[in-house]
Amino acid sequence: MAKIITGYGPLLLRAMGQTLLLALWGLFFACIIGMCFGLLGVVKNRLCNIIESVFVDVIRGVPLIVLAYFIYFGIPFAVNNLLGASGFTLTALQAGTACLALNCGAYMAEIIRAGIQSVDAGQMEAARSLGLPYWRAMVRVVLPQAIRTMIPTIINQFIITLKDTSILSVIGFPELVNTAKNVVAITFMSFQTWLIVGVMYLIVITLLSFAAKRLERRLNRGRQ
Amino acid sequence: MDVNKNNVKIHVSHLKKSFGSLEVLKDISNDFYEGEVVVILGPSGSGKSTFLRCLNRLEDITGGEVVVDGIDITSKKTNINKYRENIGMVFQHFNLFPHMDVLRNITLAPVDLKKMTKEEAEKRGMELLKRVGLEEKAKVYPPQLSGGQKQRVAIARALAMNPDIMLFDEPTSALDPEMVGEVLQVMKELAASGMTMLVVTHEIGFAREVASRVIFMDGGYIVEEGTPDEVFNHPKEARTIDFLNKVL
Repeated sequence: MAKIITGYGPLLLRAMGQTLLLALWGLFFACIIGMCFGLLGVVKNRLCNIIESVFVDVIRGVPLIVLAYFIYFGIPFAVNNLLGASGFTLTALQAGTACLALNCGAYMAEIIRAGIQSVDAGQMEAARSLGLPYWRAMVRVVLPQAIRTMIPTIINQFIITLKDTSILSVIGFPELVNTAKNVVAITFMSFQTWLIVGVMYLIVITLLSFAAKRLERRLNRGRQ
Repeated sequence: MDVNKNNVKIHVSHLKKSFGSLEVLKDISNDFYEGEVVVILGPSGSGKSTFLRCLNRLEDITGGEVVVDGIDITSKKTNINKYRENIGMVFQHFNLFPHMDVLRNITLAPVDLKKMTKEEAEKRGMELLKRVGLEEKAKVYPPQLSGGQKQRVAIARALAMNPDIMLFDEPTSALDPEMVGEVLQVMKELAASGMTMLVVTHEIGFAREVASRVIFMDGGYIVEEGTPDEVFNHPKEARTIDFLNKVL
């Protein structure tokens, strides 16, 4: 155990850094995608609603690992075929980010749609009756209430996405699991390495949950 | 409460409203004059709330015409937001914004729509709170208020945009009995100040005392209308008599 920590600790920590980098990029774009599609799901327009539900169903219906292979290998292959070139590639970070952003984005879209719809319709009506336009009423009145109810679910989704980065080891991104595999291959110390990796995930996620609890409590201050 | 018969505030002709195959308003025509306090009565399902909601286009109408201050509000060209600023609405379930304090509930629309600066809106907000007797609640959040207090804040909020018409959709129906009086009192004062008011309510006492006209609706039509004395003491239609027998 000590041999792993002293010998490979810095390497594993750097790999954790890569995991967090990938997760943060993925979550950043997931929030944007989730917000866009979530709003498409609530506006009073059949076509927009259908676009949202098709997007969500397609992404939810495909395993993350298939999505990863498709984006990392499939898309550059198709693009090069189409252009008759061979130079187009995606880095593992780019493909991994896109993959997490789409996957987490789809779940976020559903969380945001449901969160907005859970706000009493009378809130929108009252805001509109005062003369506020639709989007202003949405931003001022509906969204602030919706976000409060969404926070726990969103944090939960963040944690799932953070753990999903491990699946992207299959496209060669040097995140924690991928690096740990290499460490095991060199040292043959499988038990110790995976135990350490498990504890590392646990610490990061526990810290995240703790921060989330505090945020939630802060948002609820001033309410009954 | 002088009614100005020369100034039609709301002109409704052959208004129809359906929800899918359910026809809620069948053929409604009426004129509402400046300074009138019109109480709309009727059994549940008679379409009275829907009628009120058609007047500020919270419901899109299926047919007919609603003209407010000479402007056809059902036309696609009408800026409905501009028009809604002039017509306040009070809801059965108050619909205060729970994430804002009472004063912010009142100042949100005037400030956001650039009708007033923040300072002006807060000054006006405090005046309105004083008028409804709740100035000490300015910094309180709505969940901490009683039902009667919530509804009085909701009235102040609607008045903040300086509307010249106020719509009340069963404003006391969700209140505990002991809180009905305080809300009706605010409405009476508002009526006395000359506000044009359309009130859907079951409060017969309020209608008798304050209304300049009473409309009785049933089955998507206006069945009978007249002064409170005419409708309550000398109703002509069988359905009106039947309804009044049940509620009086």
